[in-house]
Amino acid sequence: MAASSSTGRVLTLCKQFQNVFRISSATNARQRAVSSAKCQTSLLRGTSPIVTPSWSNPISSAGQYRALHTTISRRGLEDFFDSPENWGEANVKSGAPWTAKQLRTKSNEDLHKLWYVLLKEKNMLLTLEQEAKRQRVQMPSPERLRKVERSMIRLETVVKERENALRLLQTGQEKGRPGAWRRNIFGYVYWYRFKEYAIPWYMNRRYKRKRFYTPKFVEPHIRLRIENYLRERARNENLKKRRLAKLQERFPQIKAPAS
Amino acid sequence: MISRIIRLGNPQLRIFRPSWFLTLVRPGKEQPQDTVQFRIPMEMTKYDVKNYLEKIYNVPVGVVRTRIQFGSNKKRNHLNQKVKQPDYKVAYVQLALGQTFTFPDIFPEKERAPAEGSMEEMQEKFMEDEKQRQKLDPRRGGVTEWFGL
Repeated sequence: MAASSSTGRVLTLCKQFQNVFRISSATNARQRAVSSAKCQTSLLRGTSPIVTPSWSNPISSAGQYRALHTTISRRGLEDFFDSPENWGEANVKSGAPWTAKQLRTKSNEDLHKLWYVLLKEKNMLLTLEQEAKRQRVQMPSPERLRKVERSMIRLETVVKERENALRLLQTGQEKGRPGAWRRNIFGYVYWYRFKEYAIPWYMNRRYKRKRFYTPKFVEPHIRLRIENYLRERARNENLKKRRLAKLQERFPQIKAPAS
Repeated sequence: MISRIIRLGNPQLRIFRPSWFLTLVRPGKEQPQDTVQFRIPMEMTKYDVKNYLEKIYNVPVGVVRTRIQFGSNKKRNHLNQKVKQPDYKVAYVQLALGQTFTFPDIFPEKERAPAEGSMEEMQEKFMEDEKQRQKLDPRRGGVTEWFGL
């Protein structure tokens, strides 16, 4: 606990830190005292793992290998809580969330590790939130939770983009999960995504009850639905025109908006 | 979607970037020293919790027991509609290797001096002045104004 980790959480979470982003293992990226300025340029300690090219690889006696060693965090359940300096504070400073643009510059290993960093941070914040509700106290800086969520969503999109591109290049498949356009009982056509079953479909009773076709007696209802839809669309367009006409009448000098 | 079709000979199910979040909670009832209480998502199992804590948090886990807590559907809102509190799963994790865990006090009372020129400082000064004004004459030695001339 006393041995402070090299990478503060503020480093991993604060976007201003891109150029000094040091990657540590997922277990190690706990943020230390955030009470200092928003984007502090904390120096790395000697044991920190560095992935920048200026790092000289230590050559082991067994031979040369790219030793990306990371300090293992010895703190287990303490990772569910903030650093003790922040306990009882009303506000805890935190940086901006990661944007998709920044995340696209990172390698896959970095993103993988960052995911676990964000995961642990979110666990900590959820614990804090629950405890605050229990003690009937305000949670310090709840916006951190939303920042972490947004970062995670963006990370997921970036990873999905990469996987998509790879799959398209390697196999030519557009979608990772197979599916098909199907019509359901109510006449709607939608993209049905296949699910993995242990038995074939003709042995699956629940699946057969689902009926991917429209019975004959539903067709008049579909027609009524279409009629309603067209009626509503016509009504909305008429409304817009009437509003515009009324405005023109009251204020003849205005120009009609381009829509 | 995580399909859990488990068959002999299949590769082991692995999840990259798990989107499961655990919440450590203070136990409502008294728990043994080595037991930690978590709120976990409904889709997680005991083995999931064990692997999660061991791999991500490096915590030696012995036994995990889970239960599902039913969230009440009894309360009603101003429209007399029933309001459902969400259900959640609770996991009781017993640590291995004789480790113990007590839930710490995360909101200790801290002496904080209000910042200069801020609202809190002005308010505190005002309150102090008011109290000073309400105090009786110290020369009367704690006797109220009711007595005397």
